[in-house]
Amino acid sequence: MNALLIDDERLARNELRRLLAKHPAITIVGEAANADEARARIAELRPGLIFLDVQMPGDDGFALLESLEPPLPQVIFTTAYDEFAVKAFTCNALDYLLKPVDPARLAAALERLESRPESGQAPLRLAPEDKVFVREGERCWFVEVKSIRLMESEGNYTRVHFGDAQPQLFRSLNAMEGRLDPRAFFRANRRQIINLSWIDRIEPWFSGGLLVHLKGGLRVELSRRQAQAFREKMSL
Amino acid sequence: MEPPTSSRDPVAAPDDRRWTKQRLYVICQAGGWSFFLAIQLIFLQLFATGSDREQGMIGAAFQGVAVGLLLTHFARRWFDWRGWKELGWRALIPRILGMAALLAAVWVVVCYGIHYGVLGHPFPAKYHPLALVAASLINGIVLMAGWQFIYFFYHLFDRYNRLRIEQLRLVASVKDAELRALKSQINPHFIFNSLNSLRGLIDENPGRAREAVTQLANLLRYSLQSGQLETVPLEDELNTVNDYLALEQVRHEERLRVRLDIAPEAPGVSIPPMLVQTLVENAVKYGIAPRREGGEIAIVARCERDRLRLQVINPGTLAGGGGSTGVGLRNAADRLRLLFGAQASLSLREDPPGRVVAEVLVPLRVASRGPGSGDDGRRAGPEQPAATLSP
Repeated sequence: MNALLIDDERLARNELRRLLAKHPAITIVGEAANADEARARIAELRPGLIFLDVQMPGDDGFALLESLEPPLPQVIFTTAYDEFAVKAFTCNALDYLLKPVDPARLAAALERLESRPESGQAPLRLAPEDKVFVREGERCWFVEVKSIRLMESEGNYTRVHFGDAQPQLFRSLNAMEGRLDPRAFFRANRRQIINLSWIDRIEPWFSGGLLVHLKGGLRVELSRRQAQAFREKMSL
Repeated sequence: MEPPTSSRDPVAAPDDRRWTKQRLYVICQAGGWSFFLAIQLIFLQLFATGSDREQGMIGAAFQGVAVGLLLTHFARRWFDWRGWKELGWRALIPRILGMAALLAAVWVVVCYGIHYGVLGHPFPAKYHPLALVAASLINGIVLMAGWQFIYFFYHLFDRYNRLRIEQLRLVASVKDAELRALKSQINPHFIFNSLNSLRGLIDENPGRAREAVTQLANLLRYSLQSGQLETVPLEDELNTVNDYLALEQVRHEERLRVRLDIAPEAPGVSIPPMLVQTLVENAVKYGIAPRREGGEIAIVARCERDRLRLQVINPGTLAGGGGSTGVGLRNAADRLRLLFGAQASLSLREDPPGRVVAEVLVPLRVASRGPGSGDDGRRAGPEQPAATLSP
């Protein structure tokens, strides 16, 4: 698996490199000393895994994740102190390592990594297992695309409904629509995109429209025109 | 670090207090004089003869109360203006008596003037006029002195209460400062980051790594001991700060540059332990760590006539503070105040824009060599004999 090391300290990156030398499955393809460098390297190298220092000059690790174009690489946080680890934990972030890094903890973290096929370039469409990163206040999530029930446009942002949370994603609904698999998601109206696999039942609605009930209690209205498109799509 | 909480005044806000006191004054003044009037009227009712009524004694009682009310009201203005409320009993008593005599004299003159001069009541024949005046005067002195005693008794009590609250608050803040000092001497984040860099340094530069271990040990030892010492010589503190900065340079490499400018007589001056360290840690945290290009931290110490001026300068701005909450600085300022009172100060300013200066002023006191100055040959600068300075 290709990995990128992101840490503002040269010595910390060197130390991690030395530790990872014992793990031939991991190939270090590059390093970055801050969020801007990291964004460029990730876009260029498409690593499957990043080691990410939380505290860096400029954007911190969380801000970097938020700005990355999904799908996200797998992330292992590295931090010197627990306060960030706790945050990363609530984040269901894959894993975190405390500095100085314990080789046994590193091995365990690497073992937990998901084995996913890596493609050399950014895929046009997000796969159901791909993750997007959302943050709201102190909480943050890595959300699998397939677990998102509904996306709602809020200006330049998109409100994402999944689990029992509905944080805002730092992207417009139109930008998200371009990345979603049209077989799995449907543009219900100007403001909403629904996940077809979360539909519970459908009932006819006024003037030829449809009312879609999603599992978990959300309801979405389809206009007559959209209902037409929906029927065509579903009958296919 | 948690956001700074404004220390709430347990005593009501000054405006509130003034209003409450004003109301209390009006109530006491009205109640007191009404009571006095009522007593006089009752006595007149019980003992007055027909001639007394003819001579307008009831009217005189009203006049007396009205004039007394006015006099004491203006006397209160005078107390305020002359700052009598801040005086102690010993200074107050002769003033109260003098003021009572003066007020009583004015009172008698005005009341007699109105009663016998303006209203033209006849002088009672059964008393000698001088005896009558003397009796009224003594009566007035007792009354006015009584009024003032009640007034100042209230204010002294009030002042004493406020002093006690202030004292309790100070004691609480001492405890608080001690606790905070115990809790966070050195940022654990820094310690773990340093250990991590050290691990990296062991292969790369074993000599520097050994040095760094010693520096970290010195820093930890100093930090642990500092809780037991009230003050340390600036020199000891600077040695620790040098160790700290050397460790930060291992981490930040060329991003952190350091400039020391210490006047030759400064190292002997006493300062609270961890004072400069706190300022320098802040400077690194807010001035160096968030900047990609890093910057320079300057430590300047100058002895002026009777005080030490100590500055820690870093690039950055005060606006926003980048999440700064100033717990460390507040802690340092508290300790300074507890040790030196108003003679010491700690301030933070941006001067010129883009450069933050933390400045400490402490009175010059030469330190005796304390137990915190463990000599292990690590001193960077030349040994300075404790300079002789005027206290």
